[in-house]
Amino acid sequence: MHSYIRPNDYVGVRLPSEGTRIIRPVPNTTVSLGKYGSFPANQIIGRPYHLTFEITETPDEDGNILRVVSAAELHAESLISDGSGEADGEGEELEMYGDGDAPMRTNREIVDDSSTQKMTLEEIEALKKEAGGAGREIIAKLLESHTALDQKTAFSLAKYTLRKRKKYMRRFTPIPLDVGFLTNYMLGEKDAAKIMELRDEAIGLIGCWGNVHHGGNTPIEDAMGSRPNSRYFVVDETGGLIVAAMAERMGILFSEDGDDEATSTVPEPSQHPANEDGQTEADQTEPGAEDSVPSRSPHQQPMSASGNTITLLHAHTRPNLSLLKYFGFDYDNPDESHPLFKHLKTVSWLQLVDPSTDPIYSNEPEEPSQETLSTMKASKRNAFYRKRNRWARTRNVVDEARAGGFDGLIVASLMEPATIMKYAVPLLTGSASVVAFSPTVEPLSELVDLYSTHRKTAFITQKRQIREQDEEDQVQGLAELEAEFIVDPSLLVAASVQTSRVRSWQVLPGRTHPLMSSRGGPEGYIFHAIRVLPAQDHIQAAGNQSRKRRKVSQKETTAPATTATDSGDANTDIQMRL
Amino acid sequence: MPSPFFTPGTRSQADQVALLHLRRDQTIPTVLQIHDDKNLGYDEGKVTNTRFGSFPHSTLLGQPWGSQIAASKVDTGSRGRRPPTQTQTSTPTETQTQTQLKRKAEDSPTVTDDARPTPKAAVAAASGYLHLLYPTPESWTASLPHRTQVVYTPDYSYILHRLRARPGCTILEAGAGSGSFTHAAARAVFNGYPSSEESLDEDQQQQQPSKKRRLGKVCSFEFHAQRVERVRDELVQHGLQGVVHATHRDVYGDGFLLDGASPHANAIFLDLPAPWLALKHLTRRPVEGGNPVSPLDPSTPVYICTFSPCLEQAQKTISTLRQLGWVAIEMVEVQHRRLEIRRERYGLDARGVRGAVVFPKSVDEAIGKLRASDRGGRFRNHKDDSIDTETPPAVNTTTITANTTTTTTTTITTQNTPVYNLGRVVHRTEADLKTHTSYLVFAVLPREWSEADEAKCRAKWPSSCVVDSKPFPAKSKKQLKREEKAKRDEERRKNE
Repeated sequence: MHSYIRPNDYVGVRLPSEGTRIIRPVPNTTVSLGKYGSFPANQIIGRPYHLTFEITETPDEDGNILRVVSAAELHAESLISDGSGEADGEGEELEMYGDGDAPMRTNREIVDDSSTQKMTLEEIEALKKEAGGAGREIIAKLLESHTALDQKTAFSLAKYTLRKRKKYMRRFTPIPLDVGFLTNYMLGEKDAAKIMELRDEAIGLIGCWGNVHHGGNTPIEDAMGSRPNSRYFVVDETGGLIVAAMAERMGILFSEDGDDEATSTVPEPSQHPANEDGQTEADQTEPGAEDSVPSRSPHQQPMSASGNTITLLHAHTRPNLSLLKYFGFDYDNPDESHPLFKHLKTVSWLQLVDPSTDPIYSNEPEEPSQETLSTMKASKRNAFYRKRNRWARTRNVVDEARAGGFDGLIVASLMEPATIMKYAVPLLTGSASVVAFSPTVEPLSELVDLYSTHRKTAFITQKRQIREQDEEDQVQGLAELEAEFIVDPSLLVAASVQTSRVRSWQVLPGRTHPLMSSRGGPEGYIFHAIRVLPAQDHIQAAGNQSRKRRKVSQKETTAPATTATDSGDANTDIQMRL
Repeated sequence: MPSPFFTPGTRSQADQVALLHLRRDQTIPTVLQIHDDKNLGYDEGKVTNTRFGSFPHSTLLGQPWGSQIAASKVDTGSRGRRPPTQTQTSTPTETQTQTQLKRKAEDSPTVTDDARPTPKAAVAAASGYLHLLYPTPESWTASLPHRTQVVYTPDYSYILHRLRARPGCTILEAGAGSGSFTHAAARAVFNGYPSSEESLDEDQQQQQPSKKRRLGKVCSFEFHAQRVERVRDELVQHGLQGVVHATHRDVYGDGFLLDGASPHANAIFLDLPAPWLALKHLTRRPVEGGNPVSPLDPSTPVYICTFSPCLEQAQKTISTLRQLGWVAIEMVEVQHRRLEIRRERYGLDARGVRGAVVFPKSVDEAIGKLRASDRGGRFRNHKDDSIDTETPPAVNTTTITANTTTTTTTTITTQNTPVYNLGRVVHRTEADLKTHTSYLVFAVLPREWSEADEAKCRAKWPSSCVVDSKPFPAKSKKQLKREEKAKRDEERRKNE
């Protein structure tokens, strides 16, 4: 994967300024990198990723203007410019700390204004236009005309050179465009709010706690008895970034991931309208074969995979999956060869909750008689089949979603989390993970509170009391219970919230420290809980409240750090009472 | 056997590892078995005892995952006093010594299931339950037996994301340790169980041009012989033996080759005390003292992460990485916090409520209390006098009544509010805070790119071939549209 730069694929680029860009090397065109220059796309197509190229002024005999900068050169420059090369490291350190005989150089004499640089802005601008050497000349000139250069300490000189280098060096590094790159690109260069300010560390946590993984190659005979593996519910309002991240973990994001032969050959459950889908296909190729065994469709059906799938729940009529275009998947015009074509299913909230009122789901396109169908104009007939296929596909996908049995729920949404949980959590299998991301903590702390021990106890007690009533009262009682408890608190256990942040360091001999500044903004919190199947019978919790409480208070006095905590009920040592 | 970590199926099965979830942060891993191999003498067969009751495995087997299971009445007390064998098999004439001998014989795993008695049916206990969960790398990490320092979820989730560990990749892991990273890495690369012949000639398959998918695998190296054995046992128990290959080796000296062949690694994780000593093996071309063949995948970039608690280790690693031509070197640390979320309740009416603080929750409540306690107090007369002189008494009485009514209404509302809705939801960092785990050093080794490769590429994609007239779009889309429209208008005018 990502072994070389393919033509027409999106490619990430890292610039000397540490900024990033996304380019698309279309064969026989020119790629522009703004002030860092431009180059023919052909000169990077087919080359490996992570190489650093320098845009030279003079083309070689083939007309190539890109030169590969070797790693040794990259590091050598960085090491020398940073004054930390293996050879000169010692001397620098002596100087730095003033241990030697030479007087320690400090910034005592340095004048804090711009008068030290003798080159004017105009001169620099002019130099930029004519100077060659991929920016090296400019930097040399700038250093030359700096009057107070000799007063600088080695480290401050290194810093100065590095700063200029970042500004003027005409270099770039193509990077594979994957979820990690795209996340940082959106955060740093684009609108971070669009992806809910998701950071790499949050994406990693979401995927792991959600237990999102490939469904494997279970042989058909094994799959018949059990259910298809790795089916995930996703609510994604980050423009498709979460879908992409989950798809990456499931091996269905990149076209070169290839298709998953094993899962696609698993037969659809026959009671599903999948057959109708197949039948319409059969009809298309061979009109009149109503009851024949559905033949294998000549082309792949969208959203037809049974395992290793993502079912996206969306709030608008169409899901926003705009970021998937960088991975070669356009939702409006999907490429059949892309794995997401079959493995990504979309269901609107209306279709999930009340499908009978959904216009696509409920309006079955009326099938005209065979005669009318055969006399129809080809375009009209195709239009009918398109409609019919869309209806059948929607029907299939929605029914499948409503049947439940999902292996996980991943939520990154602006909607009230409790309302999502209300409809989605009952459709998960037991032991499945629920993960919700929120840029701020408040929505999630409220959600945790909805699954607190006190609430669980009250819910179960009230439910039991209702069960004991007459049937009429039961209906009313259950309605009241639902109004009081927006979510069934007994369906999730171990609700918790966490947050993570990565801190970057500069590592250079004698100058190792955390970076001085980084991106602020929302912390980003992750809710995790596990779906369980509460027993139908009443089970009394174990544990003696009074005795245990004493034990806890002792524990608190001796070792407060080891106090066990449970959400909502901090210091109790008893099992939840049911 | 499919692994319950990847494909748990719908129900728990015998000889699979399962997690018994008691409460948050209290999960017991166990292998589900009807019969007790350790022969602890329970009538019910294998039993797991927890603080919330005893659970014979016969009640846990064949249950849908996630089920709530009630505890059973198990005689845990008298078994110590009984002869330790199953009483059903031993005849009453047998002496104590005989039974002891028999016990030794039965400890060997040769005993077949037929020879054993059927365990007694479990009887439900009055209280206690647990939830039966399938294992995940996260829950395993939280409950695994510690052998070494564990790489926890916040670290490994970030590491695997940065290592671009995806289904079908090969990961080298040195320092298997307790196996938490191993499990998570196995899940990340898993895309199918190898069939028997696939595992035999994997290398041949990789060279074959067939479209067959490459199966993800983790090659785990550990120099501690005993730990390797434990890891191997665990892998078999967890059904991961097809995905993870555990090798007993000191990678500093002996490198990463498997039977002299390259594992074709795409990503590397080094949890070693001196990662820089292992780096000489991880090169594109053999270097002096390194492996004779590169263990890396020649066709992809290779990502590396080293995990070192000390800064000096990280510095030395980075310096070596620079010398060996790795790029995009970066060091980070992960700071992770778990939040404790609960309702916090203050108020004078909270007396006797557990966890609540008896303290006025508002100035009004404080004033109300002050007035109430002041009523009939020492300063009453004096205060009344002073009020009389300054303000009309009527106003004073109304404020008092107003205040008393507010207090009563608040008591009424708190009485009507269920206990789960009282107080305010607050969050705080949990008491146990991991302030430092390790420094993570990341780097990438690009594919090797020779002049021959470059020449080939140039032949396919001619360097100077640029057909588009505009080198890059100097005009925006809007501009282009406007121009087009102007052109059309002009044409129309001409036609007219």
